Amino acid sequence: MDYFLKDIEYGMPITWDFLINDINNSLTYNPYCKSDNYYHVFKHIITSLIIGKEIILLDSDFTNSELVNLTGFSEYEEFTQLIDKASFSLLRDKVELIEKLRTTCDDWKVTLYTSGTTGIPKKVTHNFNSITRFVKVSERNTNSIWGFAYNPTHMAGIQVFFQALLNGNTIVRLFGLSPNEIHSEINENSITHISATPTFYRLLLPCEETFQSVERITSGGEKFNEKTIMQLKGIFPNAKITNVYASTEAGTLFASDNEIFSIKSEYEHLIRVKNNELLVHSSLMGSSDINIEEWYNTGDLLETVSENPLKFRFISRKSDMINVGGYKVNPLEVEETILSLTGIQNVRVYSKSNSVLGNIICCEVVCDNEQISESSIRTFLQSKIQEFKIPRIIRFVDKLSTTRTGKIKRN
Amino acid sequence: MNNKMDNQMEVKILEIMNTVLDNRTKKILTALSPELHLRNDIGFDSLDLAELTVRIEAEYDIDIFEDGIVNTVSEILEKLNSK
Repeated sequence: MDYFLKDIEYGMPITWDFLINDINNSLTYNPYCKSDNYYHVFKHIITSLIIGKEIILLDSDFTNSELVNLTGFSEYEEFTQLIDKASFSLLRDKVELIEKLRTTCDDWKVTLYTSGTTGIPKKVTHNFNSITRFVKVSERNTNSIWGFAYNPTHMAGIQVFFQALLNGNTIVRLFGLSPNEIHSEINENSITHISATPTFYRLLLPCEETFQSVERITSGGEKFNEKTIMQLKGIFPNAKITNVYASTEAGTLFASDNEIFSIKSEYEHLIRVKNNELLVHSSLMGSSDINIEEWYNTGDLLETVSENPLKFRFISRKSDMINVGGYKVNPLEVEETILSLTGIQNVRVYSKSNSVLGNIICCEVVCDNEQISESSIRTFLQSKIQEFKIPRIIRFVDKLSTTRTGKIKRN
Repeated sequence: MNNKMDNQMEVKILEIMNTVLDNRTKKILTALSPELHLRNDIGFDSLDLAELTVRIEAEYDIDIFEDGIVNTVSEILEKLNSK
């Protein structure tokens, strides 16, 4: 059987034939896509490509108030439209589907949301070329089997999806499964490729098994330490381990076997280093609400290892974003949300380094109402923001800690 | 004496775990047994494990996940007892 997707959370594996039949039989299309079912999300993306319409990807755990903030709506039924079936011939098979995806995507675009630096998440839109820039389609990749370990509505997940889709590979869902389930999915499906955050790999450890089928391990989104890399080499003895640098705005930009990144010669003129900060040319970026100048400052600090050819390693991200297991949390957004609860006078959201997730969100709260408790704050936040943004440690204080210059402390 | 200490520690760990579970409105535990698996039996996800390590560290000054992930209740107790 030629499988498109295997997801143990949803039972039966899905074949390419089933997918094609399902697409051929679809009569309606809605540009907004919000679902916790991986198959629905993937089918939705493919349908949008076939009909050449924009797709707007929303995290399945966005709360109604986040949705209203981001899109202006929390219900999307009214956007459902009929597909003009007369304009599209029925797809015969997988080969025709993939060929069609590669060639008829000029008007297509995908919009997703990323935590903005100002407290409001920002909208980023990519076209087919910018999203598939680093997809490698080749004979060698035909038999790859992908372990899917990202949220399908996030940039990294979409990129893995396209890599697998355009090569006609099987995708096996790993994200959100328990370590035991992940181990058995890798073995039973002979997964060859996994791309995931360092946190995902850390949670697989310690592991007594070895997985011989895995040929390549890719990681990005957080700094990967040497010790974890060594442990991974133990459980994936046949895998080449690659580190990537990517952002929602620009997608994947660089890949490396270790900490030192270099640039392919065709992109060399699109990357600059100024005051040790990485600048990316606007042509590499998706378009966003905020007008960007010709050169976009990523805010990432790097150390140059060699000038010509340019090689560098990342030192840190300059922004205030807190990286919680590969998810970016904007402390300002969390502070604003907590402050909107009546009875809260002041709040400071900060990160504490953590051996499981890299960082964990904490907060200090000043309140003038005895009714406010840790659980009332949590209940309120659960209706307002995604779970990973909610502080795990909440302390009640009389006064917030500040730095010597009077700024709120973030670390 | 040692047994009493262990019991105290188990009571404390149970209390900490229930705080973490309750924070996420997950089902709390009535008793702790050493073979319980943190993720498969108790239902902790990575956010919960991250919170658990912070709360245990605040109490015992030991980062239980420092050398890699621990899987069961007894592994936590071993880490805490070995220091």
